[in-house]
Amino acid sequence: MLWVDKYRPKTLAQVIVHEDIAQNLTKLVTEQDCPHLLFYGPSGSGKKTLIMALLRQIFGPSAEKVKVENRNWKIDAGSRTIDLELTTLASTNHVELSPSDVGFQDRYIVQEIIKEMAKNRPIDTKGKKGFKVLVLNEVDKLSREAQHSLRRTMEKYSASCRLILCCNSSSKVTEAIRSRCLNIRINAPSAEQIVKVLEFIGKKEGLQIPSGFAARIAEKSNRNLRRAILSFETCRVQQYPFTSNQAIPPMDWEEYISEIATDIMKEQSPKRLFQVRGKVYELLINCIPPEIVLKRLLHELLKKLDAELKHEVCHWAAYYEHRMRLGQKAIFHIEAFVAKFMSIYKAFLIATFG
Amino acid sequence: MGKRNTIVISSSDDEDYEPSSRLTRSYQKPKSTSSLTRTNPSRAKKPRLPGSRLTKQSSNVDEMRLAFRDFDEVLNGVKVSAGSRRSNPKELWVDKHKPSSLEELAVNKKKVEEVKSWFEERLMAPKYLQDEVGRSSVLILSGQAGVGKSATVQVIASKIGAQLCEWNTPTPTIWQEHVHNSSAGMNYTSKLDEFENFVERVRKYGLISSSLNGNSKSSIILVIDDLPVTNGRSAFERLQRCLIQLVRSTRVPTAILATDCGNADSSDLTARWLEELQLTLESAGASKVAFNPITNNSIKKTLSRICRQELCNVAAEEIDLIARASGGDIRHAITSLQLFCLKPNVELDLSSSNSTPSCPKENANLLNEFSGGFSSQYGRDETLTLFHALGKFLHNKRDTENVVALDQNAFRVGEKFSRLPFKMDSPEKILCQAHGQSRPITDFLHENVLDFVSDEAMDDAWAVASYLGDADMLLATSRRTLNRHSEIGNVLQSAAASVAVRGVLYGNFHPSPSRWHAIRKPKLWQIEQSSSHNQNEMLRQRFMEDGGSSSFSEVSVIATEYRPVLKWVGYRKAGDVETHGSEDESLKGMSIDEEESEISDDDDIEDW
Repeated sequence: MLWVDKYRPKTLAQVIVHEDIAQNLTKLVTEQDCPHLLFYGPSGSGKKTLIMALLRQIFGPSAEKVKVENRNWKIDAGSRTIDLELTTLASTNHVELSPSDVGFQDRYIVQEIIKEMAKNRPIDTKGKKGFKVLVLNEVDKLSREAQHSLRRTMEKYSASCRLILCCNSSSKVTEAIRSRCLNIRINAPSAEQIVKVLEFIGKKEGLQIPSGFAARIAEKSNRNLRRAILSFETCRVQQYPFTSNQAIPPMDWEEYISEIATDIMKEQSPKRLFQVRGKVYELLINCIPPEIVLKRLLHELLKKLDAELKHEVCHWAAYYEHRMRLGQKAIFHIEAFVAKFMSIYKAFLIATFG
Repeated sequence: MGKRNTIVISSSDDEDYEPSSRLTRSYQKPKSTSSLTRTNPSRAKKPRLPGSRLTKQSSNVDEMRLAFRDFDEVLNGVKVSAGSRRSNPKELWVDKHKPSSLEELAVNKKKVEEVKSWFEERLMAPKYLQDEVGRSSVLILSGQAGVGKSATVQVIASKIGAQLCEWNTPTPTIWQEHVHNSSAGMNYTSKLDEFENFVERVRKYGLISSSLNGNSKSSIILVIDDLPVTNGRSAFERLQRCLIQLVRSTRVPTAILATDCGNADSSDLTARWLEELQLTLESAGASKVAFNPITNNSIKKTLSRICRQELCNVAAEEIDLIARASGGDIRHAITSLQLFCLKPNVELDLSSSNSTPSCPKENANLLNEFSGGFSSQYGRDETLTLFHALGKFLHNKRDTENVVALDQNAFRVGEKFSRLPFKMDSPEKILCQAHGQSRPITDFLHENVLDFVSDEAMDDAWAVASYLGDADMLLATSRRTLNRHSEIGNVLQSAAASVAVRGVLYGNFHPSPSRWHAIRKPKLWQIEQSSSHNQNEMLRQRFMEDGGSSSFSEVSVIATEYRPVLKWVGYRKAGDVETHGSEDESLKGMSIDEEESEISDDDDIEDW
């Protein structure tokens, strides 16, 4: 098992990083009822960990007994029926799913599953009707329609179920939903906190960590705790007695993108653009999200770029990133960005060197 | 003339009857010219023409006329407006103006002569000659739809005084009918069975003329219009066997009319079978005459003849247009003509019956002009294959110089933005002809366009990429609105296709020198598929690996963080289903692939 999973705090009491939030959550659920919750914060800050610990706090160890189900939904939408397939993760007391996986038909899923949950409510030991918890991931990727229907359903079934929403950016969640939830912001852990966690793991694993090494990993991880732990483990595999100036292996896709960036800087032609497309495809096949590809690519390009072009290039990257969100197929927009960059850079080279 | 017309069930040779009677009717007195009952003599032998019904109707109308003379004009203007143009509104001109003499036939004279002499030979020849071996009495007439195969046979038959006996494919049995029949104890016979039985009977007994009014003296021609459709190889072989036997043994001169499916796709199974059938029949001894599409001039001649007979004024250009648009299909041309004549004249009648002294002529002209603008409505849709259309867009052929003299008031575009005129129809029209759906078109253009951009022109590549991005955005919007407003969705879709195509055409200012490129299937589709496959795979693996840690991980997180680390750590077990290998391997594989594919691209240079 990976260290990330192994040392994930199982209960709110074990939480190291966001102790204050964990305490608040404990207080919140001891009163038996909890409002809808919206967790938001950057990737790798511990949202999911907190949610799982919270569920355990509410339902006890049974919350961890989950089974994966690949369910088919037949939804009657007026004139036709829609067939949807979605993987859900369910225990007796909660259901977890990522409705955005089904794309633009997500709204049906949200309605349907909440209705269904409302129908069969579990009964707790005291004979009181309990409530189920629905965990929705990636709420920020839900379509607007789905968010609206989510809001309606939240109101209607609030007696029988609680929602825990989880997303990276609350700005993409509609105001209506945000105001119906208790918003909990999970900050990215600071470097010191990460170092603390790494040292905790090191102690448990019985490792010697040279001074400054944990700090370097923390710095490299960009305040992403998961990433820090993962690369810590990678370093451990790579070379055990740690040395303080040990190289921290980068992610392979990052290297690949920097390779693409080098290609782009070397030659600017439609032919090269075509080759770049092939490489971007390779990234997309491996499920690297296009936003991340674009962001990383910009990052790599900026490193090598003359200062006077940086502003313009950033502008175009933002422009095409926006269009990528509006559009359907990311490759079109990534490619347009690359083409624009090539065109700018080529003009710059000609202007500078003639 | 206003008298009750008697139906003339004439034998088919009195062709002179029709034009003369028409000419005597005068345009000014429409009420007296109730020609509703006029049946087409050449059609009289077809029993399905509801002649008797028509007589009754028209007599009613006439009686009404006598009784209510006051309403005459109203009737005239509104209901029987068609009567003023001497045509039964229920009758199609195609049927009405069926050629009744060899001269009227628009088919090439030589072909007609060939067919005619073949029939004459078969019919006139003495008995002993007919029995000669190798002289089959089957003639195959092949050709596209609407080139006058049936008409030729009919005209010739009437000319040489032979009776036609037609096999028309029976109407298919619908399910309810079948249920009804089987409950009544009747067995279902397939249409192919019926045809086989028929052919069998013909072979053995000839055509027994009891059904043909005992007119035993005249000779008989058997026409098999429409071969039964066969589904599946075995059924086809049955049909083939049965026809070959017919060819070998029948004595009745038989014409088999085979409709070619135009320039048939080789992929179309039925078309290939039809060809095969013709070949085998020929080898069994049948003669074959292939009809070509009718020439423009013949169609024009026929159309103007009809116009004269119908007394409608159609400009020569219009006729020309209709003829050209019909693509050699005379049936289509005549129908278009009828459609064209219908509209303006109804208008004219109405205006005159309302007794408003409007100027009908101008009106008609206006309408003519109007419809002239959309002349393509008479045309058979020309279709293009998707690849043809894509080729047009990608090659981006333009005139070498701007021939259109810019007039002073015209909107000027900067030097940088102006492009030479297209050497093709407008892109939207081509899209329409290719029946292109916007999404595939956009994907295909995206996949292929970079090959067609000159190597120096980075700005062009950017422009093209950007426009394709625009199209993608429009398509995404259309998908979102698809559920509620399909109308809006459609508009968006076509707009997106238009943006994509025009973007490609406009953006590619410096096309690379023309050479042959293979148009590739969008790799994007494959990528999307394997990407979603990988995604599911990752989720599954992740769940297995983290020991059921009771939570989902986002795919992006797995892909960007867990997976690379897992590779480092070497957690991957041998048994794991991994389609794409480790990324480093696939990177190397990728670059090799690319080089290879490029080489093969260059090898593909041929003439387009």
